[in-house]
Amino acid sequence: MTDTHCPYCSLQCGMTLERNGSRLEVRARSFPVNEGALCRKGWTSAGLRGSRERLTSPLIRDRTSGAWEAVGWAEAIGLVARRLTALRETYGADANAVFGGGGLTNEKAYQLGKFARVALGTSQIDYNGRWCMSSAASAGNQAFGIDRGLPFPLADVEQTDVLVLVGSNPAETMPPAARHLDRLRERGGKLVVVDPRVTATAERADLVIQPVPGTDLPLALGVLHLLDAAGMVDEEYVATRTTGFEDVRRTCASWWPERVERVTGVEAGTVRALATLLGEAERVIVLTARGAEQHAQGTATVLAWVNVALALGMPGKEYAGYGCLTGQGNGQGGREHGQKADQLPGYRSIEDPADRAHVAGVWGVEPGSLPRKGRSAYELLSALGTEAGPRSLLVFGSNIVVSAPHAGQVAERLAALDLLVVADIVMSETAALADVVLPVTQWAEESGTMTNLEGRVILRERAVTPPEGVRSDLAVIADLAAALDAPSTWPDQPEQVFTELRRASAGGRADYSGISYDRIRAEDGVFWPCAEGDPGVPRLFADSFATPDGRARFVDVDHVGPAEELSAAYPVHLTTGRVLAQYQSGAQTRRIKELPDEGPFVELHPMLADRIGAHDGEPILVRTRRGELKAAAHIVTTIRPDTVFVPFHWVGVNRLTNDALDPSSRMPEFKVCACQVTV
Amino acid sequence: MTRPIVVVGAGMASARLVEGLVARGLGDRVTMLGEERQPPYNRILLSAVLEGSHRPGALALRSQEWYADHGVDLRLGTRVVDIHRDRPEGRRTVELADRQELPYEQVVLATGSIPTLPPIRGLVQVDGRLHPKVHAFRSLEDCARLLDALPTARSAAIVGGGLLGLQVARALSVRGLRTEVVEGGDHLLRSQVDETAGQVLARSLRRCGTEIYLGARAVRLTTAGLRLDNGYTLDTDLVILCAGGRPHANLARRAGLTVRRGVLVDDRLCSVDDDRVYAVGDCAEACSDAYGGQPHGFVPPAWEQAGVLAARLAGEDARYGGHRLVARLRATDLEVAVLGDPRHEPGEIVEVSNPIAGTHRRLVMRAGRIVAGTLVGDLSRIGTITQHFDKGTVLGVREAGALLLPDPAPEGTPGGMADLPDDAEVCACAGVSAGRIRACVSLAEVREITRATTGCGGCSSTVRSVLEAGAAVGVRLAGERREAVRKTSPSR
Repeated sequence: MTDTHCPYCSLQCGMTLERNGSRLEVRARSFPVNEGALCRKGWTSAGLRGSRERLTSPLIRDRTSGAWEAVGWAEAIGLVARRLTALRETYGADANAVFGGGGLTNEKAYQLGKFARVALGTSQIDYNGRWCMSSAASAGNQAFGIDRGLPFPLADVEQTDVLVLVGSNPAETMPPAARHLDRLRERGGKLVVVDPRVTATAERADLVIQPVPGTDLPLALGVLHLLDAAGMVDEEYVATRTTGFEDVRRTCASWWPERVERVTGVEAGTVRALATLLGEAERVIVLTARGAEQHAQGTATVLAWVNVALALGMPGKEYAGYGCLTGQGNGQGGREHGQKADQLPGYRSIEDPADRAHVAGVWGVEPGSLPRKGRSAYELLSALGTEAGPRSLLVFGSNIVVSAPHAGQVAERLAALDLLVVADIVMSETAALADVVLPVTQWAEESGTMTNLEGRVILRERAVTPPEGVRSDLAVIADLAAALDAPSTWPDQPEQVFTELRRASAGGRADYSGISYDRIRAEDGVFWPCAEGDPGVPRLFADSFATPDGRARFVDVDHVGPAEELSAAYPVHLTTGRVLAQYQSGAQTRRIKELPDEGPFVELHPMLADRIGAHDGEPILVRTRRGELKAAAHIVTTIRPDTVFVPFHWVGVNRLTNDALDPSSRMPEFKVCACQVTV
Repeated sequence: MTRPIVVVGAGMASARLVEGLVARGLGDRVTMLGEERQPPYNRILLSAVLEGSHRPGALALRSQEWYADHGVDLRLGTRVVDIHRDRPEGRRTVELADRQELPYEQVVLATGSIPTLPPIRGLVQVDGRLHPKVHAFRSLEDCARLLDALPTARSAAIVGGGLLGLQVARALSVRGLRTEVVEGGDHLLRSQVDETAGQVLARSLRRCGTEIYLGARAVRLTTAGLRLDNGYTLDTDLVILCAGGRPHANLARRAGLTVRRGVLVDDRLCSVDDDRVYAVGDCAEACSDAYGGQPHGFVPPAWEQAGVLAARLAGEDARYGGHRLVARLRATDLEVAVLGDPRHEPGEIVEVSNPIAGTHRRLVMRAGRIVAGTLVGDLSRIGTITQHFDKGTVLGVREAGALLLPDPAPEGTPGGMADLPDDAEVCACAGVSAGRIRACVSLAEVREITRATTGCGGCSSTVRSVLEAGAAVGVRLAGERREAVRKTSPSR
């Protein structure tokens, strides 16, 4: 019996794994986020073990014939190290790049960042978390001086009066979390869901608001307009705990309900209903997720909703405030320990001299030897194989040809590399394009910590022995570092790496120095920040914010609109999202036979279906300026008639999406672009 | 320091223009001259202030400090009397009421509109001021004066049955006054909608307690009240003038610029006579606007023009190509939206009207596009209809009609739980069908075998109902089949 957590989303549900002969059985375990519930992904998560598709030997691909050859580890590591060294000698350290993932444990994320900066000396490292919650991260840093997805335990949402979910569908993306919504409503609290679709989550809501994709921001401006007009702003809170409200107030003065209606497609009366609900509530929680964040104006959109929460005086108040529902399993921890282009462990800045000195000290290298900040995820991928860009890429825990926007172009860039190395558990779509594939351990075969959506550091424990032939990511990194003759030390045991991570994070914004594996086991996880000897902080901002003056910042943002406007040729909005039975690029979930995989589909309204002559279940063609996809029509009345929805778990979907980036988070505009739909 | 850009007017169009200039780093090149004492405020929300749903303090678009902080020289309470545009380069000025002259290189007229004073005897006293009962309703000052008069007033007559008149009438009704609307035309909102829509609206307004006099002109204000030309005399405490307005273009006329209804400008928003003089908003008449210029009093076209002009003054090549107008009535319990010009726009009409229910919706279609429309009493689809109108979406042959009808009921609307087919999915989290639940004898067994209800918990009540219905009608699978169901359960 091993107590651990689910391998998938940021909820990190508690579960117990039990060996039964050769089988590994999943049992639900009571843990604060899931209280004994699991979704079908969790129940079936042991199914990937023993899959025939599991990779158990390093593979090298012959580029001329395309043939794969299984080789020994020494040969594979030696080959990769030689190629990396040669590229570095010829083109400089930035010729080699690293791409990580938000599903990697804290230890792996930490070690990967260290490997890039110390062993490769490259500035070129980033990760797929840019495509997850980076807009909320950027907004959190600007408004509160800190980026922790939820500043309170998830179960707090049950105790609030009005919960607003903006672009979030937990009933399908993290089902056990929806129990907290039900309990909120049993208590008499109200649930508001803002989504272009009436989702399974929206079906539970007291108020459903269906804006045009890309217009959550003006909706927030309109709500604040009405709150100010009605004198419902908490002026004392604004005066004592915040700065910057005056400009925000004046900007919102221009967003009267009928103007909001024109832009958002939400009837003015509905905007008024929302403002009244919020203005009259004692406690309000606003949570955003990818629907609000994955836009070229994603950061501004989050800030607009943060402004609403601040104007109501909510952040820092018990059972109230703003939070982001992170998506990936370790979306939170993955962005704190150095796999992001501009960061060092402990949420330190790679451009700050004191931060560089501290981390270099822990690593035993000269601060001056650490590179500066590199390209963000999509910019990094766009630069691959170009004159100025990297010539090799090492990918850990990411399936970029499925998950990146404008994925057709990403595949082209990968093909232009001198060397692509992918560490994965199965032959993912990205691994299939690699020169070298390194088979690694998966969940349950290794230990490591994750930081869930609440900022709670939890421990996934090893439950079974990995199959013959695979190595852990930490061991691969250690082997490569040794072969590259890198300075510093490279332990491959998770707890050893965590001990080093604690030191590296000490004194940083995300301070883990007081957290240990034993404490995590004993306390159902520990919330950061947690300095040595501290209890950890489940609830932030009670007395002050993490800004220099302790006050939250109102940031004056205004609506610009999606990067791609509708046109005569592309007259319909395309938005993307998840379905319950799949996770991210589907590399894991599609290989679990108990999970149904009906492939991608196109959800559209009967009016649009009738316009183009589509029939339910029959294929239709979705085309954007970047690519096209044929998939079955799902005709539903629950979506806006001017919008279609396609789940993103399958290769092909992100060939459609727009690669316009948010100026501050560098988040691509996954959630809205212009498309054409035909039969 | 010379400030080459002089903006005459400090209303909503000017505010938008200056914000655009500030955003482009040109704030310290701008002088903004306003006649009112207040910095620019959101004029179109005055009726909400009158109603009591909007704090007057929340109207300000930017504070005086904001302009100062961004280098703009904002002068309030300042009237421009002349533009000396025929002088040589470098000596052109605008002249203020105090004879001071401000040099300009480019001057923007954003003087808005002035309310029309209807020909009612007794409206103006011998001293030239309005009769104490009479109120205009254009500025914050007008609004404040009217608010001051409310505590002692029990009734109000509103002259003019257009958008503003109806908003004011509803606002005063909400405040508890008995209100009457006098409209010279044969129906309400006659500039925007056809007679049928006007009749539906009148019916709704009467239901809200407002009396309406159509085809009637107020001719005289006496101590007995407001006398109409149909013989009635309305005994009223207040008379509010909402009879529309006209572009405030006197300054342009005086300066010898071509003025039709408004200052005539081309698609650069430049006067057709002088390319150093621009005009935006209500005082302007753009050649590119359809049907002889934009109806006045609407902010979105003015702001679109202001955005274009800010770009032009910063040296960008932006042009104004006209505007798709959506006029919305902002009044409690009166739902009206007018898209484009439904009275004049040619096209095919798709219409659903139910005067008994107080609804009238009409879409004017041309080549598959919504080119104009009227929505009265039912705005449930406005968020889709205006999007199609704005984007010029080409709709299907049945789509315009579908937009005016409710969504079809979803297919397979469930009857009793006993009727739920065996393959219907009951629990999405665990992927469990009704059949597999029926194969279980208890909720505990359902949880243990199928995992249904163990995810988000949303299906709990359905599962219980399916189990109970199954028990009631004896739906129970044979033991053999139950075994098969068990075998296909996940993780077993």
